[in-house]
Amino acid sequence: MTQSDPIFRLEGVTRRYGNLTALDGIDFVAEDNSYIALLGPSGSGKTSLLRVIAGFETPDKGRIWFQGRDITDLPAHERGIGFVFQNFALFPHLTIFENVAFGLRHGATKVPDAEITDRVRASIDMVGLSGLEDRNPDQISGGQKQRVALARSLVMQPKLVLLDEPLGALDANLRERMQTELRAIRERLDVTFLHVTGSETEALAMGDRVAVLDAGRIIQHGTPDSIYDSPAVSDVAQFLNRFNMFEGSLKDGMFHGAFGAVSVASARPNDTDVYAIRYDRTRIFDADASDLPGPALPVRYLASEYLGSSIIFLFETADHKTVEVDHHLSLGEPRDLTVGQNYVLSWDPAQAIVFGKESAR
Amino acid sequence: MSAASTNRQKTNTFRLLAPGVVWMILFLVAPIMMIVYVSFWTQTTFAINSTLTLDSWRNFFASEAYVGALWTTIRLWLIVLTLTFVIGYPAALYVGLLVKSKTVSTVLLVLCVIPFWTSFLIRVLAWRPMLGKEGAINIILQKVGLIDTPIEVLLFSELSVIIGMTQIYVVFMVGPIAFMLGRIDRNIIEAARDLGAGFGRIFWKIIFPLSLPGVVVGAIFVSVMVLGEFATSGALSGRKVNLLGNIIVTQVGSLKWAMASVVGVILTILLGIVVAGFLRIVDLKREI
Amino acid sequence: MESKVLKPILAVYVGLFILFLYGPFIVLGILSFQQGPEGGPQFPILSWSTYWYQHLFGLTPPSRIAPLPVGEALVRSLTLAFMTMVTATVLGVMAAQAFRKRFRGAGVVFYLIVLGMMVPGVLTGLGTSLLANNVVGIERHWWSTAFLAHVVYTFPFAFLVMLAILNRFDGSVEEASWSLGVSPITTFRKVTFPLIFPGVLSAMLFAFTLSFDEFPRTLFASGRDQTLPLAIYGTFSVEIHPNIFAFGVMTTLFSFALLSVYGILMGLSVRRAKKMAMQEDIA
Repeated sequence: MTQSDPIFRLEGVTRRYGNLTALDGIDFVAEDNSYIALLGPSGSGKTSLLRVIAGFETPDKGRIWFQGRDITDLPAHERGIGFVFQNFALFPHLTIFENVAFGLRHGATKVPDAEITDRVRASIDMVGLSGLEDRNPDQISGGQKQRVALARSLVMQPKLVLLDEPLGALDANLRERMQTELRAIRERLDVTFLHVTGSETEALAMGDRVAVLDAGRIIQHGTPDSIYDSPAVSDVAQFLNRFNMFEGSLKDGMFHGAFGAVSVASARPNDTDVYAIRYDRTRIFDADASDLPGPALPVRYLASEYLGSSIIFLFETADHKTVEVDHHLSLGEPRDLTVGQNYVLSWDPAQAIVFGKESAR
Repeated sequence: MSAASTNRQKTNTFRLLAPGVVWMILFLVAPIMMIVYVSFWTQTTFAINSTLTLDSWRNFFASEAYVGALWTTIRLWLIVLTLTFVIGYPAALYVGLLVKSKTVSTVLLVLCVIPFWTSFLIRVLAWRPMLGKEGAINIILQKVGLIDTPIEVLLFSELSVIIGMTQIYVVFMVGPIAFMLGRIDRNIIEAARDLGAGFGRIFWKIIFPLSLPGVVVGAIFVSVMVLGEFATSGALSGRKVNLLGNIIVTQVGSLKWAMASVVGVILTILLGIVVAGFLRIVDLKREI
Repeated sequence: MESKVLKPILAVYVGLFILFLYGPFIVLGILSFQQGPEGGPQFPILSWSTYWYQHLFGLTPPSRIAPLPVGEALVRSLTLAFMTMVTATVLGVMAAQAFRKRFRGAGVVFYLIVLGMMVPGVLTGLGTSLLANNVVGIERHWWSTAFLAHVVYTFPFAFLVMLAILNRFDGSVEEASWSLGVSPITTFRKVTFPLIFPGVLSAMLFAFTLSFDEFPRTLFASGRDQTLPLAIYGTFSVEIHPNIFAFGVMTTLFSFALLSVYGILMGLSVRRAKKMAMQEDIA
């Protein structure tokens, strides 16, 4: 199989709960053997989407294709799609070994005992839990449970594994380690991971491809870079949490905002007029500086936050909007700022992304 | 929802429910319908035929004994219901609300339930050596010197039936009330106390209204059981107290199915009114 | 503060209340050790003896007081209670399982089932015997008509117990099992059932004891052969002797034996429940 063969495809998938539309006509094509991160705020319908693909719930409208087959009407246990739950959902009455062996033992196809033992041991070994086979789920830690859940799913050799906020229940350190491990494990197997998360850092770090879900619709789908560099709509930019977003009005190729009027080369179609500039593209100047690269935004300095590789400076505009500047330490020492002092922020207009009701010429 | 999976789920639900539902329709609903139907059948001395008639109904209302049994049933029910409430509520208040320790509260509730592990009939029978002329109560009262001659009215009277029923059924009142009281958020009471409300005020304004669903559930339990009673009255009244249930038993005993059915229908109607009445006070579905 | 006065008063009251509940038993227990066969079912105790217990097991020389017909009745009652327990629990688990999904008519079905425990036994008993006697035309037996009526009575209890258990059951382990390619039926057998087993035990206990002690329905719906409660009821009309008290003590002990068995089984499965709870805590 080549990298681009679709593993599954959604066609106008819609799911309603009473008056609430959780999934609103979702079309999506997922390529095989890839890591797909599905990013969405809570209530965006991301868990519903996963449950519909898994077959725990049925869509009100639309079809689901998996490995070229329409599986919309197939019950969950006939789909051959793995699922890893946020709460792990291990079988509390079985040992780790039996948890992992469960699908092989009780599935539709009879697997010889010797093969079960081999595959289960290999799977447990792969997630690094050898030696814990005879423990019970209540005798292992949260991170180990997550691995068991993963091993239990992978031992069935599925082509697609759905992960529902798999790192949500883990603490921060563990989460970072599991991120790398999840990617490594996936790369060793010929399997597609669809990983649902509410964290933009996690989605951008883990996915080969990232799909952004909002209000039951996929609003952008692409590589992490493409999403980071050019969010399709202002909601995505907002959600990525890496842009200073200014409201204003776009008229005749000019954007009028708190920083004055700027000429705009092109604008992306959007419901509102929004001007966005990345935190790390925003630069700090003295209040009386004259050699600005672009528009001038008068601000007051509030505070800074040291993040290891960079420093975040927080400013406040005249209308009490907080603006962030992200200074990478690799670019040199940051300048000294005085709290309460006025400064001017500016940037290269070419690096701004503008969303508008009218497309600028 | 896609048709195939909807159907699959429907079939599944249907398969799971069908046996139980069919069982209840055949062996619960049909028998009750049957009682209504047979109450209009014609009764001859030893047989019964399905010619419809109102004779049995006329006979019921013409007989002082039968109508009397209806009034006795209602009277006894009201008395026992009142007694179980009056005796049970304070106990429930203590067990459900005043006891701070969860363990003590559970132990007390278990203590209340243990007697149920003895046969119901033995429990009824146990009142005989208690209440009789030479029974425990009379002996104790005489020893203490409160009375000179034994009180005879204690056993084989309406009083003994009332005492017996109250003891047997009071726990059904205590349980639900204690449960509801246990669910009350203690902070509300503390807050009211901080605002200077006395216990009486707190009780009537907060505790009692919140326990009302428990009272209603308890009252329904007690009512259903007392109204359908015949064993306690049979064992403790010496045939002096005849409830609707006793009439049904004797009528069936002498193969008077039609009359037994008439009494059965009247009992059903009485029960329906009582339960519906209680459910009007509190919307149980919302409370539970 | 009033509750400072109220609490001790109520504590004393609860003491008296419990005495009220237990008084008759204490008297019954004492009188079961009455001298026999002359001693009657009342005070004073002529002399202490275990005569009536021996009498119960037919170990005393024949006297004018006939032994209680408990032997066969006990076997019948146990058999009936066992049959009822199995049927009611199976029906209860099935119905409660169905109630985990929303469906149309759920309210009606719920009340139909609960009706079984609300309708007095005298009515179900009468109706069942009418139906058997006058419509179907079959003889009534403890193992046929009475059994049907017993299930009508105990099924709702089993249903409610299971409903409460399944309400708290986390369904994601079942979904996990499906996603591993295990069919819903096998999933129920291998995952759901082991995890709800403590609840099933409670439902079984409920059904067994309710049926074992059931009296009004049995009175109408069973035929000639008596169950235990009917045998006891038979002694009501004639003179009672302390042997019935001795019997009362014995049945109470039997109940406690049953409770202990339940307790042990529960203890064994509680470990599982604990694991379940711990997993939920983390989740």
